[in-house]
Amino acid sequence: MNEDELENNKYRKVSTKWIERHKKLQNRLFDKHRDAIDLVSKKLLAGSVSGLMLLTAPAPLAISAPLDLISIEQVTKQFAKNTSIVSQLGSILSDNATSLDFLQEQEASKVLSNYYGFKVLSELNGIRLNTTYGLIGGEQHLYRYPGDTLISHADNKTDTIMYIGSGIAPGLGAWGYFAPSKNQFTEEDEVREKYYIAAQTFLAPGFNQNVVKYRDFFKFRKMLVVNPNTGQSVVAVIGDAGPALWTGKNFGGSPEVMHFLGYGKGPRKGPVLCFFIDDPENKVPLGPVKDIIKIQIT
Amino acid sequence: MKQNKKHFYSHIIEIESLSIKIESLNLSEEKKDHLIKLVEHNVHYEIIDSILSELKTEDKKTFLTHLAQDSHDKIWDLLKNKVDNVENKIKEKAKSLIEELEKDIT
Repeated sequence: MNEDELENNKYRKVSTKWIERHKKLQNRLFDKHRDAIDLVSKKLLAGSVSGLMLLTAPAPLAISAPLDLISIEQVTKQFAKNTSIVSQLGSILSDNATSLDFLQEQEASKVLSNYYGFKVLSELNGIRLNTTYGLIGGEQHLYRYPGDTLISHADNKTDTIMYIGSGIAPGLGAWGYFAPSKNQFTEEDEVREKYYIAAQTFLAPGFNQNVVKYRDFFKFRKMLVVNPNTGQSVVAVIGDAGPALWTGKNFGGSPEVMHFLGYGKGPRKGPVLCFFIDDPENKVPLGPVKDIIKIQIT
Repeated sequence: MKQNKKHFYSHIIEIESLSIKIESLNLSEEKKDHLIKLVEHNVHYEIIDSILSELKTEDKKTFLTHLAQDSHDKIWDLLKNKVDNVENKIKEKAKSLIEELEKDIT
């Protein structure tokens, strides 16, 4: 092993240990002082936004009532629009399914493509994920460029209230920073972090035999993520690899993705369909699919 | 390598020795920056936890409010009134953590 490899091994070992240490500290802090933190968070959210500087601490502080009110209001409006897709998907998915078989995937792909007006596939360029149907859990924000901070992820007061409470992951995403520096950070990078998912790319069939090819293929790959119970959908990119197998989850979603899927509160997890979007000309925008968007892919 | 945010305790704690060790590693700037962030995150939580553990509930709320507003002077006014030898306690807490983290990279 050469010197570079030794140092990189040390980096991995040390960073993993420090991330774990940080998580334990975070849990301890919130367990021990939850009452005071909850009360102050509520008071600050009712007052000026400057109070939310509390959230510049490197991990989430509790956000309670105001977030829930906003979420419920937005989610309810959307729910009514989605009954059609829910009913169509409901006829494909069996109640206790943990994955879809080939025919179910083909059918779901057809229904989603017809409904949204862009091509939705379970397999693209001969590559597929380990599953197209599974549990998604909430992730934290990711550092987008060196020197990035949690508070700079919010564009406005609403963003601050709704998404900053999720905190920021101490580690980088699987592809590193979204941009090499703040100066080179683009709008596209910003939207990618906002609407990112984690997928178990390392479990994709053929991954071990084609690590470099698969890594490049999955990096920021555009996906359609659908809550089959409500029809709420988000177009997102794969921005991280995970979650770990032992978590029992198959996907992770950014705070924004979880919110628009209807999983922004409570246990912050639930079932999703996750399919590739075949969009070679990059016409399908990232974000919540608020209405049926008919985009002609020529 | 930069320190990302100035906290109310930044002027009394010393992480230079650890920063120098991280800087001397044969790693990309991105990875060094990441390690420094992890140090800062760990130090921050350790210090906030140790302060909150010394305060009564009402004082915890006042402290967190000042922290949220980044009111360093108010934080120090409160802490000096409510916690004996608060500066020393923060320094000691940070020092022992930094020593522990230094062992990890040595």
